[in-house]
Amino acid sequence: MTSLPHLQPVFERLKRGYHLGPDDEPEYSALAARFDDYAAYFEAIGLRLIRHEREFFYFEPDNAETVPDTLPRIAVFSFILIDHAANQGRPIEDFIFSQNFLLTTLPHFTLDRYAALLRQVDVHDLKDIKNLLDHMKRIGWVKWLGEDEFRFLRPFHRVFSKCLELSASSSSRGDEAQTPEANQSLLTSAATKE
Amino acid sequence: MKINPQAFFNFCAAHPVLLRALAERGGEFSEAETLRLIRANPGAAEELPETAWRRLRELQILVPTEPGSESHFLAEPVARLLSYLFNEANPATPEMIRGYVLSLDTTCKRLARALDEEDITPVKLAFDEISQTLRRIHADLDETHHAILTEVARYKTERARVSVREKFRRIVHWMERYVEPMIKIIDADGPLRATFDETERLLGRAREEALFNDHPALARNLRFLRLIRDHALRVFTQCRKEIQPLYESLRRSSAIAEGAARALEKLQNEGLVRWGNEPLIGVCALRFQNVPGDAAIGHALRRVVEHPPEPPPVLELTSEEAAPGALLRRRWLDALPERAATELPIEDLLGWMVERHPDQDTAQILSGFSELIFHDNFHARFTGNAPRAYPTADGELEAAPIQLTSL
Repeated sequence: MTSLPHLQPVFERLKRGYHLGPDDEPEYSALAARFDDYAAYFEAIGLRLIRHEREFFYFEPDNAETVPDTLPRIAVFSFILIDHAANQGRPIEDFIFSQNFLLTTLPHFTLDRYAALLRQVDVHDLKDIKNLLDHMKRIGWVKWLGEDEFRFLRPFHRVFSKCLELSASSSSRGDEAQTPEANQSLLTSAATKE
Repeated sequence: MKINPQAFFNFCAAHPVLLRALAERGGEFSEAETLRLIRANPGAAEELPETAWRRLRELQILVPTEPGSESHFLAEPVARLLSYLFNEANPATPEMIRGYVLSLDTTCKRLARALDEEDITPVKLAFDEISQTLRRIHADLDETHHAILTEVARYKTERARVSVREKFRRIVHWMERYVEPMIKIIDADGPLRATFDETERLLGRAREEALFNDHPALARNLRFLRLIRDHALRVFTQCRKEIQPLYESLRRSSAIAEGAARALEKLQNEGLVRWGNEPLIGVCALRFQNVPGDAAIGHALRRVVEHPPEPPPVLELTSEEAAPGALLRRRWLDALPERAATELPIEDLLGWMVERHPDQDTAQILSGFSELIFHDNFHARFTGNAPRAYPTADGELEAAPIQLTSL
């Protein structure tokens, strides 16, 4: 098992919270080809390797009692971007992944509501946003393409997964009588009939 | 009131842009709103907006929502004509198609009775009615198909900022209102197929029994019947195929947007402290600062190995040599009444106490004094003599003398 290729660089990156995606070769291909072996190896030392349904890899985070300041910042930053994309009427994933973003044209300070939300997590200006994006780069969610330009990488799907989880949990609490999932079941049954 | 067709079409010819604007806006029109539309879409001829407004009502293009009302709407026949002219399709509701099917069903029953009675006139009437109903079904299905395709195209190209969740609600409306109920009506187990089969059987019987001699028309109706049956199912299956990917995409986006919006709403309403960990996306961060290195382990082991031996602590299990002070005080107090009883009556109790027990401190003297005064076997009373001072081991007391006697 110790003959696993690129074991050390894989471990070195994953242990720091990095998400290995298709942009991270050759580690990504090695993990994709022998995921079960890597998972078993890391499990022996108490680490759970996750393969996301959108094909990227990361270590399962432990439920630490103390939450780093960066996590709420990343969450608020990402949720605002999604809220903005939804208001544009475009499919969210298409909006996030099909374009490069400019730091200076991000929507985060275009509305007072967004700015107030960011202030709650101590993000006050573009410099703070830049620091946040640097952190997201360190965990493999963002790639800088220039001084001001960046794009989101596949592991950003973790934010979408979280949003779906939040949406499902609020639906299950009965916040809304008519939910997307309820509609889905109706249409799926019709589709299967076909 | 009859309308002069020439006047009607002359007005329409001079105001096509205005008519289109009225049709596109739809709903109810106030006078002010109509005048605004007239000014924004002037006709070919020069005329006052008030004149156009008056003509719209005279020609019954706009009709009052109710008698005497100031509010107007586009007359239904005109709206249909404009839809036809501008190639704008209106979807047929499932209830409309179900109505046609019921109508066809009733006609078939009449046709069956007429065939049984070999009565040619009702057969011909039923045949005409069937032809008309089939044409309407075909036209309405086509129009619905067209409307759905237009709507799908509009979603894909829409530039206006309509939120994802709003789009999703609209697409769900189309699926639930038109596509799915329509497929239920026209699929193999639905009422349309059953009625069409019965109609086809009766038309075939009419031909076999030579009760209806217009064979080309009969053949045309049979062909039309089969065409609609196959066409309807294909059209709505296609509609579902058109809408389904859009629906899937919007459903996922809508759920993502909802999750993000709820998280932000909670942050806004309850603040960061009560936001909790639920909305956070956890990231692994292993911390090694508490894991000892080899050198640290070696050092710790060396300290254990090289630690100088030390004798174990010895427990003192023998009894204490001196009695505790509290015990001695208790014993002294307990013995005091017996000692006082041998010397009764005592004329000055406090004087007796300090004289007999000069080594006791003030607190102890007072404890003994109280013990004797309140003892069940003794009686204490003031002698009436003047107060005097009583020196103790650690101070001095001043009190009026008290006599202690036996009860």
